[in-house]
Amino acid sequence: MLIPRRVKHRKQHHPGRSGMAKGGTALAFGDYGIQALAPAYVTNRQIESARIAMTRYIKRGGKVWINIYPDRPLTKKPAETRMGSGKGSPEWWVANVKPGRVMFELSGVSEDVAREALRLAMHKLPMKTRFVSREGGDI
Amino acid sequence: MADELKISAEKRTEFGKGAARRIRRADKVPAVLYGHGTPPLHLSLPGHEAMLALRHSNAVLTLDVEGEAHMALAKDVQRDPIKRFIEHVDLVVVRAGEKVTVDVGVHLEGEAAPETIVTTDHSVLEVEAPITSIPEWITVSVEGLEAGTQILAGAVELPEGVTLVTDPEALVVNVSQAMSEEALEAELAEAEAEAGIEQEESDEDDEAAEGEGDSEGEGDAEGGEDAEAKDE
Repeated sequence: MLIPRRVKHRKQHHPGRSGMAKGGTALAFGDYGIQALAPAYVTNRQIESARIAMTRYIKRGGKVWINIYPDRPLTKKPAETRMGSGKGSPEWWVANVKPGRVMFELSGVSEDVAREALRLAMHKLPMKTRFVSREGGDI
Repeated sequence: MADELKISAEKRTEFGKGAARRIRRADKVPAVLYGHGTPPLHLSLPGHEAMLALRHSNAVLTLDVEGEAHMALAKDVQRDPIKRFIEHVDLVVVRAGEKVTVDVGVHLEGEAAPETIVTTDHSVLEVEAPITSIPEWITVSVEGLEAGTQILAGAVELPEGVTLVTDPEALVVNVSQAMSEEALEAELAEAEAEAGIEQEESDEDDEAAEGEGDSEGEGDAEGGEDAEAKDE
């Protein structure tokens, strides 16, 4: 799973959720991709789960790119704990994804295979997404 | 081949984001026309006609600006990443018979050899072409290519009258060996174990194994998957 090797601060503020993606809104490497349509924190488990789902479907036929990285820690207080006594311990690593961001890309397979592989991957993600392709003029 | 499309445009007199938003609300597209030493001309294009004209990259437009005709090439089209409407267009003045430098997409055709993965490293090539015959795509055949084959920009066959501007040594298509089935399965199993997502996968496998009758537990689901793999 994707985890930063070293961070400057173990506990950070929550990343801002407002606004649109400033970059990474077009396909950069592959021919097909998944574009976020809503903001969300995508955890490293969700990224890995989506990657596994699409890789299992395309088998050995294509190449997958992951364009997001879970570099922001989120903390959680233990259950049944009184408020106060400082910030909780790091629980998740998330990528702060804004609408418009192309999160995954795929190439080396036919469009039908890509659509199905990315559909399976979309179900692992926490926000509404859509399929985009280079030749379809989407991007 | 680039299409030459006629659009009537109006000159803009007010600028800034407020004015640009008012233009967009009126179903028009803010645009700017410059080049050949002429002072920049700020325009607004009709929204629907601009959308149809700019469907393809490198569109050549004939603009009618208050009775004055300008031939222009769409240099940069800014779109909303979600709704895909056109936010702004940069147009470059061109002259008939002039050669222009444009980015043209690479289109792969054919099937490479089995057990290979074809990846496009440069999905667009910068070429110089006459304004009247800008290619829509540059087609590269990968028919029967073996693993390890690399097609460089210099080796790509270009249409007549088109010359390459991109570095001829730039890698365009790379054909590599696909990962073996065992290695892929081992990599995925390791990734699943690390992420602790066996249960999610077994749910999918259960659905696949339903047709085979028995779907008790993870082991059976994996057995079903193995059976499927053998059938293939």
